[in-house]
Amino acid sequence: MLTEREIIATLEMLKNENLDVRTVTLGVSLFDCASHDVELFISNIHKKILRLAGNLVDTCDEVGLRYGIPVVNKRISVSPVAVAACNFSAEQMCRIAMALDTIARRLRIDFIGGFSALVEKGFTKGDRALIEAIPDALAQTERVCSSVNVASTHAGINMDAVALMGRTIRRAAEITADRDGIGCAKLVVFANIPQDVPFMAGAYLGVGEPDAVINVGVSGPGVVKKAIDRARLSNPALDLGQISETIKRTAFKVTRVGELIGRKVAARLDVPFGVVDLSLAPTPNVGDSVGEIFQSLGLKSIGNPGSTAILAMLNDAVKKGGIFASSYVGGLSGAFIPVSEDLNIAEAARKGHLTIEKLEAMTSVCSVGLDMVAIPGSTSAETIAGIIADEMAIGVVNSKATAVRLIPVPGKKAGDRASFGGLLGEATIIDIPDDGGSAGFIALGGRIPAPVQSFKN
Amino acid sequence: MKKIVVFVLGPDRPGIIAAVSKTLFEQGCNLEDVSQTILQTEFMGIFVASMNDIKNEDEVLAALQAAISSLGLFVHMRPMSTGLSQQPAGEPFIITTFGPDRPGLVAGITEVLAHNGVNITNLKAVSRGDGDRQHYIMIYEVDVPPAADYHAMRTALYDRAQTLGLDINLQHREIFEQIHRV
Repeated sequence: MLTEREIIATLEMLKNENLDVRTVTLGVSLFDCASHDVELFISNIHKKILRLAGNLVDTCDEVGLRYGIPVVNKRISVSPVAVAACNFSAEQMCRIAMALDTIARRLRIDFIGGFSALVEKGFTKGDRALIEAIPDALAQTERVCSSVNVASTHAGINMDAVALMGRTIRRAAEITADRDGIGCAKLVVFANIPQDVPFMAGAYLGVGEPDAVINVGVSGPGVVKKAIDRARLSNPALDLGQISETIKRTAFKVTRVGELIGRKVAARLDVPFGVVDLSLAPTPNVGDSVGEIFQSLGLKSIGNPGSTAILAMLNDAVKKGGIFASSYVGGLSGAFIPVSEDLNIAEAARKGHLTIEKLEAMTSVCSVGLDMVAIPGSTSAETIAGIIADEMAIGVVNSKATAVRLIPVPGKKAGDRASFGGLLGEATIIDIPDDGGSAGFIALGGRIPAPVQSFKN
Repeated sequence: MKKIVVFVLGPDRPGIIAAVSKTLFEQGCNLEDVSQTILQTEFMGIFVASMNDIKNEDEVLAALQAAISSLGLFVHMRPMSTGLSQQPAGEPFIITTFGPDRPGLVAGITEVLAHNGVNITNLKAVSRGDGDRQHYIMIYEVDVPPAADYHAMRTALYDRAQTLGLDINLQHREIFEQIHRV
C-alpha cells in the first residue's frame, strides 16, 4: 500500500515543479541504408525511419498519459551522416539534410540529430563534404541538428577542424542573418561526444550502438530547486553536505521516472532500451531553470564568485543520485547551462553577472559547455576558433564531454537582444574580447597531441 | 477446518484487539488475517480466523459478544465463503482528487468507477482546511480490469471531476513505486 505522503509528494513534483521526461530519443542506424546513389540512400532512410519511428510520437503520448508524466519532446538521432553517406558531395549532403527534415515533419518530431561528423583525428572525404554543407543544410531545414566532434582525450585536438568550425559557425550565422543566426543554434562542436546523447543539438547514434535504441533525457531543475527550498525551509541550519544529499535523492526520483517511461516506450516499439541521460536541462519557462538553483543556494545570481563550486556540487550530486537509480546511465548526465534557454541565466548574462570567462570556468565542472551563447556578429572566425580550442582543451584534459554552441548574431553587438524562438529562447549578446589576437595561433593548424592521462592501457 | 469472518465496530479505545483476539484464542480459533481502521473516533476491525469443523460458530459469537459489548462495541460474525472464483487481476492505478468539499464527491467519482468495472482496493478520503476553505482529498487505489476501455474510462472520470469542481489525476501505480521505493 502506498502512503498518502508518497502519493502527494509525487503529485507535487508533477503539478508544481515541472517534472517531466524532457526527451525520448529513438536512435536509428543508417549504415544499412548506404548506397552509391543519393536518391536511393534517401529512399532507404525514409523507409527505415518511418518503419521504426512511425508510432514514436503516439506511443510516447500514450505512455505519458498512462503514467501521468508528459514526454515533452520526441526526437530521432541517426548515425553520423558523414559516415553513412561518406561518398557524397556537399550538395548531396544538403539533399540528405532536407530529406531528414521532411521525415521529422511527417513524424511530428521536433528535432532530428545526426547531421554529424567525427573528425578528432582527421577528415575523410565525407567529413569534409558534410562540414561544407552544414551552413546551407541548417539554413534550409528547420528540425535538423548538426554536431562535429573535433577533439577527444584519446586523439587530442584537431586544430584544423577547430579552425574550420570557426569559419563554419560564422557562415551558418551569416546565411541565417534574418533570424538572428539561428543556424548556429542547431550546430554544436564537441570534445569527447558521447555516442548515446538524447539531447539536442548533440544527439547522434554512435557507431557502436544497436540498429535502433531508445535513449531518454530526464530533466527537472524545477524539482531540484523546490526540493532544496523545502529542505532549507524546514531546517534553516542545513549545510552543503546535507543539501547535496537532498539533491541526490531528488535526482534519484527524477531518474527513476525517466527510466520507467523509457523502458515502456521501448517495449511498445519493440526496440532495446539504451540509457537515461540524467541532465538538469532548463527551458525558457519560469520554474524550470538551473540558474534559480544557484539563488536557492545563497548566491544573488549565477555568475557570482562561488558559482563554479555550486555547479560542481550540483553536477556531482545529480550524477550520484542518478547512477544509483539506473544501471544504464549515459549521454551527458549533469547540469546544463545553456544561456538563452534558461530565463535566469539569460538575465544574469544581461546584467553582466555572467561573462564568457566565468561561463568557461563553469564548464570545467558541468556536463556540456559554452551552450547557446549569443556573441557579437562581428566576432572573427579565428576568435570563435580560439574559444572552441579552449573549451575542447577543458574536455580533453578532464576526460569529459565539452561542447560549444555559439551564435555570432549578424549585425548585432554586445548588449543587444537576440531571439531564437521556442525552446531555444532569447538572450542578450555577451561581450567577447576580439582584437584578432588568436589568429596567429589558429593559423598554425595540426593536431594538439593527446594528453598523458589518455594513456591508461 | 472452516473459516469465519468477524466484524467489530464502535468507538475506538485501547484494548479492542486484545479482547477480540483473546476470545478467539480461548475459543480455539486460529487468527489468520486482521485489518483495522480508525476514522476520527470510530474503530472498525475485520478478523479472519480458522476453526475446527466440529466447533459451533454460535458459541464463538456469544463469547465475543460477552467480551466486548461492555466496551460499547458491535460484533457481527459469519462463516466465510470459500472457493469463490477470484476476478482476473487488473492493472493497478492511483486516482487522486483535490478540490473544495461538497456533498456527493465520493458518490460522484465511484459511480464512474463502478460503471467501468473498476475495483477499489484502497480508499482514503479526508477533509482538510478550516472554515469556508474546506478542501477534500481523495486517494483511490484501484484495479482497472484488462477488458476496460482505458481511454473511455479516463475521459468519463475527468469529465465527472470537472462537473464536481475537482482536480483529478489518474496514473499507473508503478510510477509512485518507482519514485519512492528502492
